[in-house]
Amino acid sequence: MKKISSILILGLAVLWCNIGFAQNQLKSNNTIIKFFSETPVENIDAICKEAVSILSIPKNQMAFSVPIKCFKFKNALMEEHFNEKYMESHQYPNATFAGTITDQIDFKNDGDYKFNVSGKLKIHGVEREINLPATAIVKQGKISLNADIMVKLVDYKIEVPTLVFNKIAEEIKVSIQSTYNNK
Amino acid sequence: MKYLILFTCLISFSTKIFAQDDLLQSLDSISPKKKDFVIATFKSTRVVNAHSIDVVGRRALDFRIAHRFGPFNSGFYNWYGLDGPATIKISLEYSFDGRLMFGIGRSSLQKMYEGFLKYRLLRQTTDGKMPLSITLLSSMNMNMQKKETVTNYIDFNSRFSYAHQAIIGRKFNEKLSLQVSPTLIHYNTIGISEQQNTMFMVVGAGRFKFTRSVALTFEYGLRFKNMTNNYEKYYNSFSLGIDIETGGHVFQMFVSNSIGMNEVQFLPYTSSSWKDGGIRLGFNVSRIFGI
Repeated sequence: MKKISSILILGLAVLWCNIGFAQNQLKSNNTIIKFFSETPVENIDAICKEAVSILSIPKNQMAFSVPIKCFKFKNALMEEHFNEKYMESHQYPNATFAGTITDQIDFKNDGDYKFNVSGKLKIHGVEREINLPATAIVKQGKISLNADIMVKLVDYKIEVPTLVFNKIAEEIKVSIQSTYNNK
Repeated sequence: MKYLILFTCLISFSTKIFAQDDLLQSLDSISPKKKDFVIATFKSTRVVNAHSIDVVGRRALDFRIAHRFGPFNSGFYNWYGLDGPATIKISLEYSFDGRLMFGIGRSSLQKMYEGFLKYRLLRQTTDGKMPLSITLLSSMNMNMQKKETVTNYIDFNSRFSYAHQAIIGRKFNEKLSLQVSPTLIHYNTIGISEQQNTMFMVVGAGRFKFTRSVALTFEYGLRFKNMTNNYEKYYNSFSLGIDIETGGHVFQMFVSNSIGMNEVQFLPYTSSSWKDGGIRLGFNVSRIFGI
């Protein structure tokens, strides 16, 4: 009997710790990532609606993960080349970001917040330290987040052949939109 | 006991709590697991003459120009075939959904008009649950030469011939893709020396991609003695080529012993052989437009 109760208590302890932790982790299953490439010859944009994000308020940390294959282009051939030739998504299926919020934000109160997240952005297998300026809107406890960042292709070893060089911008604007589940 | 609980608590905390990398790990658990199709098994919808398992993307129009020069063994006087006689084929091909594709084309050899339907039946997935891709092809060909030149012309039906193919392929890795295509070919009317209207053959083809834009290709059409007409008179079609892809264009350059570009022509009726230099230079240019 004593044995059973101690196992029970142990189990509860594990459960409690995990639940306690999970409550402070806000998740977003419908994070939207868009990118734009602008050149005089051609503008290219693509959108991915299946990215995921976690915001951990007690730890002041956040993370994103974007499956490269989910980016949809208007031009199907571009989508294929994006995966096959540039991002090599068979080898590097996800782009990720994980960082720490460097400003003190009280997400419990409604309002608009501007803050910076410093962390590591990993694209095409290359990891780099970056600073991500973001804005968050807290409304009735629900947090939605927006962030824009310029990504330089050479930084992440994404090579563009000279033949299509003038069609793809050297710097790509990436925008992130996340709404976190209020649970 | 107290310590044990504390210890367990700590352990279970620490497995999840530490640093940002663990945040990324918990992201993995909420990422939707989706099945992904293998893409870009070949650079184009053709290997050389034969269809590859690939279909153009959704809302993509493929404008193709194909050219075959004269044979090498025509010698220096004829610039080893560059002077001709050359054959040309022009075609337009389209798909609404990236699965069903249709096309029309016209080849100068036998003034042949062609219409085809191509359907991606099964697609190889990245998780390996579906190891193969299967694409079906059906083409109808119309020989529009003058009546007198069409073999055994009886009536308008004599102009028609058909090819049906099941293309079974697999992308083994980023570099190597192979496919095999059992093929049925039917001529409504055949020559006096021939016995069968319906013929069966198998095409094997593959590519080896050695940079992300350039690939080597090969293709071999195997005929069977009892299932083709005039087996000895003709040769198996064999082509070796190179694919160069530059964004919206694919350039395919190759040597082949076939002059015809439609299945009904190059598979059963290739009339020159590699052995005596009956090979020729050829190219296909494919330009994709997004519509």
